[in-house]
Amino acid sequence: MLPQSTRRQFAQCAALGVGGVGLSGWLDVLAARAQAQPAAAAAPRRARSVVLLWMDGGPSHKDTFDLKPESRGAGEFKPVATSAAGVQISEHLPKLARHMHEGVLVRGMSTPEGAHPRAKYNLHTGYREGQGGLVYPSLGAIAAAELGRPESPVPAFVSIGGRSYGSGFLGPRYQPLMVQDAARGVEDLRASVGESQFGRRMGLLDEMERAFHGEYRAPLVTDHQTTYQRAVRLMQAREGQAFDLSKEPAAGKAKYGTGKFAEGVLMARRLVEVGVPFVEVTLGGWDTHNDVFNRVKNLSAQVDNATSALLDDLRERGLLDSTLVIWMGEFGRTPNINTRGPVPGRDHYPRAWSLAMWGGGLRGGRVVGRTDREGATVEDGKVGTADFLATVCELTGIDHTKKNETPTGRPVQIVDKPKPFTSLVV
Amino acid sequence: MKPFRLLAAFAVTLGVTICLGDLTTAQDAPTKADKKAKNKNKNKLDPAAQAPLRPAVPVKPIVLPSGPKDAAALARIIDAEVDKALAAAKVATSPAATDEEFVRRVYLDVTGVIPTGEQARAFLDSKAEDRREKLIDDLLASPNFGKRLADVWFPKLFPRDSNNRFVLRDPLVKWLTDKFNANTPWNVFVFELVTATGTVEENPAVTYYLANRSVDKLTDGITQHFLGIQLQCAQCHNHPFTDWKQTEYWGMAEFFARVRPDNPKNANKGGDNTKVGVQETAARTKVKDFFPESAKQVAPKFLGGAEVKIAATEPARPILARWMTAPDNPFFAKAMVNRTWAALFGSGFVNPIDDMHDDNPASHPALLDAMARDFGRNGFDVKFLYKSILLSKAYGRTSKPAAGNDKDEALFSHQAVKVMSPEQLFDSLAQATGLSQQVAARQAKNPMAKGQPSGPRDQFVNFFLAGADAFTPTEYEAGIPQALRLMNSRQLAGNPQAVRLYQTNAKDEPRAVLEKMFLATLARRPTPAEVTRLTNYVQGAGTQAEGYGDVLWAILNSSEFTMIR
Repeated sequence: MLPQSTRRQFAQCAALGVGGVGLSGWLDVLAARAQAQPAAAAAPRRARSVVLLWMDGGPSHKDTFDLKPESRGAGEFKPVATSAAGVQISEHLPKLARHMHEGVLVRGMSTPEGAHPRAKYNLHTGYREGQGGLVYPSLGAIAAAELGRPESPVPAFVSIGGRSYGSGFLGPRYQPLMVQDAARGVEDLRASVGESQFGRRMGLLDEMERAFHGEYRAPLVTDHQTTYQRAVRLMQAREGQAFDLSKEPAAGKAKYGTGKFAEGVLMARRLVEVGVPFVEVTLGGWDTHNDVFNRVKNLSAQVDNATSALLDDLRERGLLDSTLVIWMGEFGRTPNINTRGPVPGRDHYPRAWSLAMWGGGLRGGRVVGRTDREGATVEDGKVGTADFLATVCELTGIDHTKKNETPTGRPVQIVDKPKPFTSLVV
Repeated sequence: MKPFRLLAAFAVTLGVTICLGDLTTAQDAPTKADKKAKNKNKNKLDPAAQAPLRPAVPVKPIVLPSGPKDAAALARIIDAEVDKALAAAKVATSPAATDEEFVRRVYLDVTGVIPTGEQARAFLDSKAEDRREKLIDDLLASPNFGKRLADVWFPKLFPRDSNNRFVLRDPLVKWLTDKFNANTPWNVFVFELVTATGTVEENPAVTYYLANRSVDKLTDGITQHFLGIQLQCAQCHNHPFTDWKQTEYWGMAEFFARVRPDNPKNANKGGDNTKVGVQETAARTKVKDFFPESAKQVAPKFLGGAEVKIAATEPARPILARWMTAPDNPFFAKAMVNRTWAALFGSGFVNPIDDMHDDNPASHPALLDAMARDFGRNGFDVKFLYKSILLSKAYGRTSKPAAGNDKDEALFSHQAVKVMSPEQLFDSLAQATGLSQQVAARQAKNPMAKGQPSGPRDQFVNFFLAGADAFTPTEYEAGIPQALRLMNSRQLAGNPQAVRLYQTNAKDEPRAVLEKMFLATLARRPTPAEVTRLTNYVQGAGTQAEGYGDVLWAILNSSEFTMIR
């Protein structure tokens, strides 16, 4: 049998001194301990939370953040000036244009994968799918492991409105809590019976657990109890209300716009407020092989409303400097406009593309990397997948040179051979 | 987690002898001192445990009985060896499992699902002396044996990889199930898989090559699953703590260099992905991304063995497969024996089970060696291997620790408490709540499309694995989302229909209803104290159905249910 893993040790620490305490007693113990812990002083200029706005399908860089009005494949959209000197973005992102002095545009993204699943995997994990025969943890799982607070009743990684990449070899403790539909909240967060009946059920379960543990004394039983207790705490925790959008005043909701993405971004803000280190919100529909202009116009409006509302709210609450907001997809789209369908479109293009970041202690108003006249190649300041992820790690105080161990004891660095560009943006 | 155990130190103090793999041809093998230097920074454990081991005396092979196959005789050898090591270490032995522990354990281990209430009752009420042996025979003959082993092997052979979304899953699942149920000799099974050629329709085993369309995946997978060796690190650099060199890696990889798998996506566009398949060609394959950037071209060479000349007109894989599956192959039989032992005890003689090398010695080297020899001599009979282990007293012990042996994790003084795999958990929940029938009906109506997981069982398994590619029976790894689902989904423990399986009539005696419920979930009768307590509970509840529902919910969410004791 293998030596006990750190996961198990953690579980035992968490459950320390609670053997034989009933559920409610256990909750009291933990609540008391959580209060007794002073909030850790954050390192200066280090984000404590990340909100990843995931643009699923690959947004066209030439129709959002890197317009090329002089190029052969110029789109229909006009560039407009922003609050960052000399930086122009699409006319369909007018509200974000007023936030560009708080943000950094990365126009030098250049990545290896051009098929959706492999590219999504690469951008989420920093590794290529299948590399070394491992399943790698995604950035959210890494953030959960490195930044999560064990005493928090809310899981450290929440993913809203899409599928995400999970915790891979880091194990289930760091996998995302999935929220399929923000309006409906967390699946299974509410008991299927009334509160008092649920309490009685937990009482019965607690009796069974104690009897079994008394006889078999297997550490596994402690782990099982710990997981259940954490789940019940989440069901009962005040922080759990962050998942309930009905608690949000109507005035606060409206500015996010309407639709699932708007609801997801609002939920992300509520989760950041209760200290969740990593929230991912997905907006699908960016795979615009045809009808690129109508579709990007519509998607831009959703991005513009929700993201600017998020940035305003974070600033108002004093959370913008400690929250890094990232807008990105898995690649860009071809500089040329295709004529394969009745309406023009653009195809997958990982060679040169853009992403944007705001808050998180960034020195705003900057642009990293430059593409050529066509938006086809990165002429200066090329940023690869590992470079970008390592930069995010540095902005959040995660040591990306740390080696995590796979279950078979192989050391795997959080990010492999990166050249982060942190110094350019803080 | 480290692939090293304190047991190594144990072995030294006991004078337990360590059997070194017969890697006779590794001429440039580093000296022990070299290795020690390499290992120095590798481990945070007690340095004494990390010192390379030298056999105190040469390993004396265990003499196996001659004559016809006799599982009971092999079981006696297993027990003699296990007990000898326990006595030498002065570790107490736990007593035999109760019938309640045994019946549930053996059903889950062999058929992947808990016994029904009737099956549990029949076994517990049997007075026959040979009831355990008879049950073992029945379960090994049950079609669920093949299903269980297919559940174990399918994820190893069919990685969760986006490239595989167009590869059909069902033909391989069925092939595996049928092969295990037919008790195909392990050497034949592996030979067929490694040499698979043709279309999915003609030979479903080619699915392995369709789902692993690169030379490194094939090399890593085949050495890991069938030879018990982790080579993948040697792909890009010499392995840090074993003898494996990059040349060994690419020498093995060369056997797959002429494999030409079709692209399943193309068939998918044509709509028939049973017509795709695998061929072996005269020239190196041109399949896109088949060779990684780190690929080197060297002469084909058996792992730790000889280089081979292969004519271009001759397929290479049968040559590899013949070497792998030969009775004298140093890795093949041991790998399967160790894997099977681990499936039944929660951990192997060597752990991780597919990382067998000199510096990661077996806990019982002579026994592993004897069982591997016996496996080969008996025609690689998988069911026979299962039966001999299942008949042993070591397998049949209780998992309750006794007399201070609770710290023992390597000498098998008591059985391990294991966690059910997601497949075992789903099938057991479905059986205990009556979901099975509904699922079967629904799946008959909507057969799987496009090789994508579908149906509640696959969804449940994916949800519980949460992207992990392997399941560890000795770790409780479920997280908050899984606990929430088990507690609060109305399809599982909280299924309001489930109570009707146990309370068919309002006049049913509580004692009888509770007994039915306990037998069908925990394979035991409730204790008198439980009957009293739970009868009071049910009578105090709003309605009887609500009370029974609460009891069933608590049972299905308990450690006792989700674990194999």
